[in-house]
Amino acid sequence: MGAVAARSAIEREDRRFGWMLMMPGIALLAAVIGFPVIWALNTSLFDYTLIMPGYDNFVGADNYARAFNDGEFIHAAKVTFFFVVAVVLIEFAIGFLVALMLNDTQRGKNIYYLILLCPLLMNPVVVGLIWRMFLHPTLGIVNYLLSTVSLGPVNWLGDAGIAFWTVVMVDIWHQVSFMIVLLLAGLSALPKEPYEAARVDGASALQSFWHITLPLMRPVIVVTLLIRVIFAIKTYDIIYIMTRGGPGVATDLVSYFIYRRAFVGLDLGEACAMAGILLVTVIAITAYLHRSMRAL
Amino acid sequence: MKKLFYSLCLSASLVGGAAHAETVSILMEGVPDTEYVKALVPEFEKETGITVNLEVVNYAEMHTKLVPQLVAKTGSYSAIVVDFYWVGEFAKAGWMQPLDERIAADGFDTSVYVPKMMDLVGKVDGTTYMLPFYNYAMGLLYRTDLLADEKNKADFQAKYGIELKKPETWDEYLKQVEFFTKDGQYGVVNQGLRPDPIAMEWSNYLFANGGDYIDDNWVSTLATPEAKAALEQYIANIEKYGPVGAASFSFDEAFNVFAQGQAYSYITYNFFRASVDDPSTSQVVGKAEIAAVPGKAPGQGGSLNGAWGWAIPKSSPNPDAAWQFLKWVESKDITVKRALAGGSPTRTDVFDDPAVLEKYPRMAELKKLLLESHNFPTFTYTPQFVEVLGRELSLAVSKEKSAEDALAQSAKEFDELAKKDGKQK
Repeated sequence: MGAVAARSAIEREDRRFGWMLMMPGIALLAAVIGFPVIWALNTSLFDYTLIMPGYDNFVGADNYARAFNDGEFIHAAKVTFFFVVAVVLIEFAIGFLVALMLNDTQRGKNIYYLILLCPLLMNPVVVGLIWRMFLHPTLGIVNYLLSTVSLGPVNWLGDAGIAFWTVVMVDIWHQVSFMIVLLLAGLSALPKEPYEAARVDGASALQSFWHITLPLMRPVIVVTLLIRVIFAIKTYDIIYIMTRGGPGVATDLVSYFIYRRAFVGLDLGEACAMAGILLVTVIAITAYLHRSMRAL
Repeated sequence: MKKLFYSLCLSASLVGGAAHAETVSILMEGVPDTEYVKALVPEFEKETGITVNLEVVNYAEMHTKLVPQLVAKTGSYSAIVVDFYWVGEFAKAGWMQPLDERIAADGFDTSVYVPKMMDLVGKVDGTTYMLPFYNYAMGLLYRTDLLADEKNKADFQAKYGIELKKPETWDEYLKQVEFFTKDGQYGVVNQGLRPDPIAMEWSNYLFANGGDYIDDNWVSTLATPEAKAALEQYIANIEKYGPVGAASFSFDEAFNVFAQGQAYSYITYNFFRASVDDPSTSQVVGKAEIAAVPGKAPGQGGSLNGAWGWAIPKSSPNPDAAWQFLKWVESKDITVKRALAGGSPTRTDVFDDPAVLEKYPRMAELKKLLLESHNFPTFTYTPQFVEVLGRELSLAVSKEKSAEDALAQSAKEFDELAKKDGKQK
């Protein structure tokens, strides 16, 4: 009896010691993540503008109601949804294909890595500016190359129908290597034995991909998609540099919209409410993907 | 004991610091006109013994750097420069000191400024808060060599029955735009990017058609035939007479098209005139000139005005020294020197100065441009209205909305903002 009590006392001591070791980390997280989030959520409940900054007018859920009734915000959310689906799916398809090819490569792997990583290492603002120059309809190199095979000129950023896909394409160029690197890391960590067994049993390459690679890769795929979805929802820089949401409202993504509501419209309360809605959406997606991953 | 020693040292150094000569600190934008001021500052320092500290940053950083200092009881900036975009906000928030008493006490003459400049970045509701610093009004860049060509002259005369010359009316200009769209060359290049480029450029079209943004009661006048005509002409210029992609151009891309000799005309900020004659950026050196955007009739300009002003914030740590600097930097002598270095004046007497005119003969036209220019409405929500206008114009250009609907929506949102600001009763 006494021994048990002593053990639990030691356990309690251990636990307390563990908490103490974690305290600095938790405090840091609370300061740099918890505090801004709570501040923003609190601000979203007030009529807080940058002209009259202050917490005098409590408006409750008013800012949220206005956000949901704001046609432009809904439109931006829709554009963002299509943008995220487009970039993540296409990047995944290209990324997986390239990762599979690279996984079988024996020589020069480091050189491929280096080249593929280049876009990822570039600042998004630089990427946007470079592509704006490349895609200049009359002075850019892309339309020039097209003209040598008597195509074009394509109105890359000035046509409402094309601009969206131009932005998607630039984002893919910029971010696809992220997918490749993560998926490649997953592929190279897969065990060799199942493949050897399959080959002995006479399975084709396609069969072993479908029945071995895909199931084994599933956790990596889910995490990769999840991270990419979250990043894609937050896309801001490329839009700011390349289109400012135009032409018309064709590329108006939600992050850029919220930024404008806060710093052009000076309405911090409503902007915080919109950011809150965005946060909840992202958390919901994360939770859903996390659960479906654990179910596998 | 040690602590006491340190604190003594510290306070001694603080007192020592205060005993030094005064320092005027100003946050400024990294533009050529700032450089011209910077080059002359040693003269001021020698004259007065006051040290001047110019903190030069990008435009994008300025507003975010200014606001905390303006809200503070004592900020770190003795004087500030204010873009006309911010005038309404700064005035409403009460961040600027009235200058009228200082102006009267020192007999500083503000009547020499172009009146439209004083309206834009000088007075707000009758109180002087700022001295105009430099202008960035918009003008019409056009190709003089194409106008002088004999064949063009004959063809134009035959087609339209009028002489081909520097356009004096908006209608004449539009004919030229149509005429010069030929042989792989464009009549005009536009800057259709949201929000500022398109909103600022289209303002010239609005004024040139005799339209305006507001009436005397701050009620929007965008749902008018003049505005509709302006927007339809703007869309036609982008679609029919301009390069592919002009709907997404910012001013640098549009200027490049003009500088490559691909377009006859480009409505833009007048400071781009200097870049036309720079062989490293332009292939049309000596072949282009700037003019006031023509209006409905000769003498009625359509140019959009734009400018920065000097102000002393309420939070200024040393307003007297700041005023001494403002008085100096805006004196006739120094403003002439700035203009000779390449600056964009705001004082009529600088435009008329013989030395300035001799070095830059275009100053005569630029003076006309300013005198005939029109102001954008400045109120607390100017940046937000530019955002709305840019969006609606862009929607009309990309054919997602009719010109009428886009203008009606802009007018509606303007009226809401003006009411919110208390401008409209």
